[in-house]
Amino acid sequence: MSGEPARRAPFTGRSAVARRSLLRAAVAGLAAPGLATLLESCGGGSTGSPSARETIPAPDNPVRWPTSQANPMIKSGLTPERGSTLRVYNYADYLSPRFLRDFEDKYGLDVRLSTFNDADEALTKIASKDLAFDVYFPSYDSLGRLVAADLLRPLNHDYLTNAGNLWPRLRDPWYDRGARYTIPYTIYSTGIGWRTDMVPTDVAAMSNPYDVLWDTHYAGNMAILDDWHTAMAMVLLRNGIFDINTTDPKDIALVRDQLLQMRRTMKPRVTISMYTEMPAGQYGLCQMWSGDAINLPYYLPNKVSTDVLRFWFPEDGRGEVDNDLAVVLAQGKNPVAAHVFLNELLDDKVAGTNFAFTGYQPPLLKFTPDSLVADGLVPQNLATAVVREKDFDTGIPLLQLPAAADAAYHQVWQEFKAGG
Amino acid sequence: MAEAAGPRGARWLWPLLAVPGIVWLGLLFIAPMYVVLAILFGGVDPILRQPVPVWNPVDWDVAQFRYVWDHVVGAQPFFRPALVRTVVYVGLASATCLLIAYPVAYFTARFAGRWKGPLLFALIAPFWISYMMRMLAWVNLLQTDGLVNRTLSAGGVFDVHENWLGGRPSTVVLGLVYGYVPYMILPLFAGLDRIPVATLEAARDLGASRWETFRRITWRLSRPAVVVSLLVTSLPMLGDYFTNDLLSGSPDTSMIGNLINNSVLTPGQTGQAGAFVLLILLVSIVPMLLYVRSTRAGTDVQS
Repeated sequence: MSGEPARRAPFTGRSAVARRSLLRAAVAGLAAPGLATLLESCGGGSTGSPSARETIPAPDNPVRWPTSQANPMIKSGLTPERGSTLRVYNYADYLSPRFLRDFEDKYGLDVRLSTFNDADEALTKIASKDLAFDVYFPSYDSLGRLVAADLLRPLNHDYLTNAGNLWPRLRDPWYDRGARYTIPYTIYSTGIGWRTDMVPTDVAAMSNPYDVLWDTHYAGNMAILDDWHTAMAMVLLRNGIFDINTTDPKDIALVRDQLLQMRRTMKPRVTISMYTEMPAGQYGLCQMWSGDAINLPYYLPNKVSTDVLRFWFPEDGRGEVDNDLAVVLAQGKNPVAAHVFLNELLDDKVAGTNFAFTGYQPPLLKFTPDSLVADGLVPQNLATAVVREKDFDTGIPLLQLPAAADAAYHQVWQEFKAGG
Repeated sequence: MAEAAGPRGARWLWPLLAVPGIVWLGLLFIAPMYVVLAILFGGVDPILRQPVPVWNPVDWDVAQFRYVWDHVVGAQPFFRPALVRTVVYVGLASATCLLIAYPVAYFTARFAGRWKGPLLFALIAPFWISYMMRMLAWVNLLQTDGLVNRTLSAGGVFDVHENWLGGRPSTVVLGLVYGYVPYMILPLFAGLDRIPVATLEAARDLGASRWETFRRITWRLSRPAVVVSLLVTSLPMLGDYFTNDLLSGSPDTSMIGNLINNSVLTPGQTGQAGAFVLLILLVSIVPMLLYVRSTRAGTDVQS
């Protein structure tokens, strides 16, 4: 469901190369307008820059996290703690209630689902360690922080018998070599969604479809994602800058200019509820996650045909492509049940149940673009919202950023959202 | 003995009666306010970037407050429009609330007769429905194909596609008025209902017209109630972000409540939310002082 990935945590820190390039640019006086101010929040804002030793994964910088000493891996061959209560911490509507009920019946335990609105709220509660959550659903941008704070329990792969269902490329992902702490949960791309009954322009046929988000014909009739990095990356892509994790002050200044221009001329709604608001007719055009696009037909009033729905993602695949994860938290009291729970998520049938409810696609071999359309899970006119495995070859992930760039991005976003 | 015990008992009794109020104030205002200050002037966890409160004022760091202040009054004042907007929206919404609530409260207090009870009941009824539900109802009504546009189109005679939810200040002000007007009616009613009818009759007997009676008696005696009702509505409006999020969602209508909400949700910026809270506190002290002055004036008149 839901724009939930939206609520993922902002990023901190990135590769040493990127950090160097930022420093070089600053020293060389490349400072685009406002750079000094853009960077001030990391110096004077007491934002608490992460340590320079922070490990930051990227596709060209895969990371194998150290095994936690404080939180040992569980032994093999144990059975789930019957009669116990498994505490699952997730975004709202990001797991099928039917799956949760089936899991309770199958293993004779209770599942207590707690939800959060954004990853920061989640991290705050997890950091207190008092709530004893067993399973949590992060994105890879907060993985480094979770490992650094020693909040995760290493996975015992003996319990993950369904891991063979995964796309091969995600069995040993760059953000967690050896899958020591994580399993992939969902995959999604970020593109543009629109309703043909409210937006006559054929967005997909435009020479630069991102331009439609600045087309004043649709002022007051559009929305962008309330996720700072996702939204700002879209501006970079519009300008042909495919390093959507750039730390170049000129690029950040460009993003600032165009975002503020959009705010002035387009009056965008900034939200993560596109999957309900666009079907309701609040606007006809928006930046959108593919999972939300797949969910659109379920929220459309009966009187409106699903044929009006469209989703565009760059045909050459050079757009935002990401995945969410599931982890076992060290603070949980039921680590065996937590492992079994993760394994169930990788089961074809369970994944299908969750996909039907959330709209977010599991990266399992069984779910191919053709099968999803043929099985009626995705209408033909939204087939572009299905993420293909090859999209991960050309797609660009949103990575953690170095502290200074992170602060600079955040200040631009803060200025944009303050309406100043 | 009994005579001596009386005054001594009274001496202890009155301070004792104040204890619950003081405890309440301490637990629910002073302590939370101190937590806000400890976070505002505190640090940030370097890994999870969560706020780390600093309890000792000696170690307080003013960087976050200065950051906010610099962007309110400095060279890049991008917080300022939201603050100005807040004052304008809250001012407009409060004035509109008063225009609606005063006649309603006046009618209920003076002319409702035996309908006073049912009418009050009806006025309180909106409190029974959650604020969020009431705002969501407006979202449905104001959608481009919602009831409002359908009504305005008079069954298709006119082509109405007004985008009420497309970041319009007027929609936000309307939402604030609708959301808070019941809070204004009740204190106004209480104030107007207490005005002795005999005073009004005396004014009429002495030759004052209806308008003169209203202007010189009713309005003046109800002024403390007006001030209270304005405070009761405008103070929560100052921190409101939800109305704006639901009925606009556009940065162009951001208010200080939205700035607070955004800061709280952004790692490393939670302290800035504390700075905005302080700003609201400073701004709201002015009307509070006005209120204290007005009630003191009322007491002086009575004595």
